[in-house]
Amino acid sequence: MAANTQAFYELYRRSSIGMALTDTLDDLISDRRIEPQLAMKILANFDRSITEALADKVKARLTFKGHLDTYRFCDEVWTFLIKDVTFKMDNQTQPVIAEKIRIVSCNSKRPGDPQ
Amino acid sequence: MSNAQVGNVYQQIIADVIESSRVDFEEGGVDASALDELRQVRVHSHLQRPLPSNSLLHVVATFPWDPKPEPPQAIVQPPTVPSNAGSYMNNSPNGQPQPMPQMHPINNHGNVTRIKPDPGMENPAGGQGPYQSQPLPAIPNATPAQQRAAQHLQNSYGQRAAASINAIQGAAQQPGNAQPNMQQHMQMQQQRQMQMQQQQLRGGPMPPQMAARPSMSSEQYKQAIATQTQQKNQLHGGQSAQPQNGPHIKVENGLNAAQTDGAGDEDEVVGLVKQFNENGEEIGMARVEIDGLIRQKIEVMGQKMEGGGLMLPLKQASTPSKRQRKVARSAASDLAQHDGPGSDDDKKDDDFDEDAINSDLDDPDDGLNDEEDDDEGMGHIMLCMYDKVQRVKNKWKCVMKDGVLTVNGKEYVFHKAQGEYEW
Repeated sequence: MAANTQAFYELYRRSSIGMALTDTLDDLISDRRIEPQLAMKILANFDRSITEALADKVKARLTFKGHLDTYRFCDEVWTFLIKDVTFKMDNQTQPVIAEKIRIVSCNSKRPGDPQ
Repeated sequence: MSNAQVGNVYQQIIADVIESSRVDFEEGGVDASALDELRQVRVHSHLQRPLPSNSLLHVVATFPWDPKPEPPQAIVQPPTVPSNAGSYMNNSPNGQPQPMPQMHPINNHGNVTRIKPDPGMENPAGGQGPYQSQPLPAIPNATPAQQRAAQHLQNSYGQRAAASINAIQGAAQQPGNAQPNMQQHMQMQQQRQMQMQQQQLRGGPMPPQMAARPSMSSEQYKQAIATQTQQKNQLHGGQSAQPQNGPHIKVENGLNAAQTDGAGDEDEVVGLVKQFNENGEEIGMARVEIDGLIRQKIEVMGQKMEGGGLMLPLKQASTPSKRQRKVARSAASDLAQHDGPGSDDDKKDDDFDEDAINSDLDDPDDGLNDEEDDDEGMGHIMLCMYDKVQRVKNKWKCVMKDGVLTVNGKEYVFHKAQGEYEW
């Protein structure tokens, strides 16, 4: 599939940087500086940029353990709610511990996705 | 460590998004300064820690006399020429647009200063800009900044900017501002004048003599009035103003009149704001005063909307479940209807049983929803893609990739993650 017609997951819009971009675009729209259609295009650009950046630039690895509280699989999206979870980064001695974490995960083998 | 990478990766994403959106901005004809504002993405407020300093805060310069912020560097945006630009060109007698005069104003020291044209305003082809109406006369006693502001206004807005240019000229001729290189002082003075006028406006309708601004000489004031009157005559075919009793503000908008002669030209969207005194004579108003009036009117309109309950804050607005409880209560208390078949609204009340069932379902009592809402509020979330999800009895093993993890107020990125957990 040609790269320019390809759709990317909108999943990462919920990350902090995605929320920040969305907030900024909201402000610009409510100030009548830009049109909502333009904001949608920018968000689509963001989907592509962050997907590519995470795939190309990031090499870090991570393992985590915990107790699975809730799991759900719907429309090819896994959602886990894990309690008492411990994250171990590959070059960090101190593990990160959280009471609970939610995982939202899309299929990496989505048709048309770059592999 | 994946946390240390976050800043760099995000910075790269921001730059990439900005670059790839530049084309879309151009296509949309949007001022590129909005794009630069995007660069100020407020990541640090979400992460509660600052990003590397070089990713931040590209401050957009705004000029007090500029109705629209300009992009700070000369980039991207060629001046968009309206298709009907010709309507703003006052033809000179020989039918040729007059070339833009190169301005050589003489300041107080007798030095000749060349005014650098604004980026994007340069017109290589003899200066055939959209609003090239008349050559602007050099303002005596003006600082280069004032000259330049006046020139910019003239270029951008043609005739309509006459009042603003007059204001600049007026400020230049005040003795307090006679010294060159006192630009900041001048700007402060202008702002003070604006504030003063706005306060006067809020205090009620102005007596006619107050409308004459102290900074304007009477000649310039007459000139401003003449410009406004001329515009009015152009729009309304010289129709005479009707006398009114008492001070009265009249807002005329060309859009209100039905149009039968095809697509509109730009003249149609020009609104006129006029103020009349008791004798029905028109009171000339400066641009700032007109702006104030329009603002007042819009605020009144906004208050009316809020009075309708459309724009209540979220907390005060009734939620669906509350509304249904209200319906249930009123349905229970109301007696049967005696005045014939009901309207659509009444049918809803008849379907009271359905509402009751729904209202039970809508009650957010089940614990699952609560937990998930909490999670979103706390922001402990991992967004990623899965390669593999396996389960043997109650043991789960997952392989995730390309994820963003937000936990304990920190953010991590990872290429691969393995998770093991039991249910």
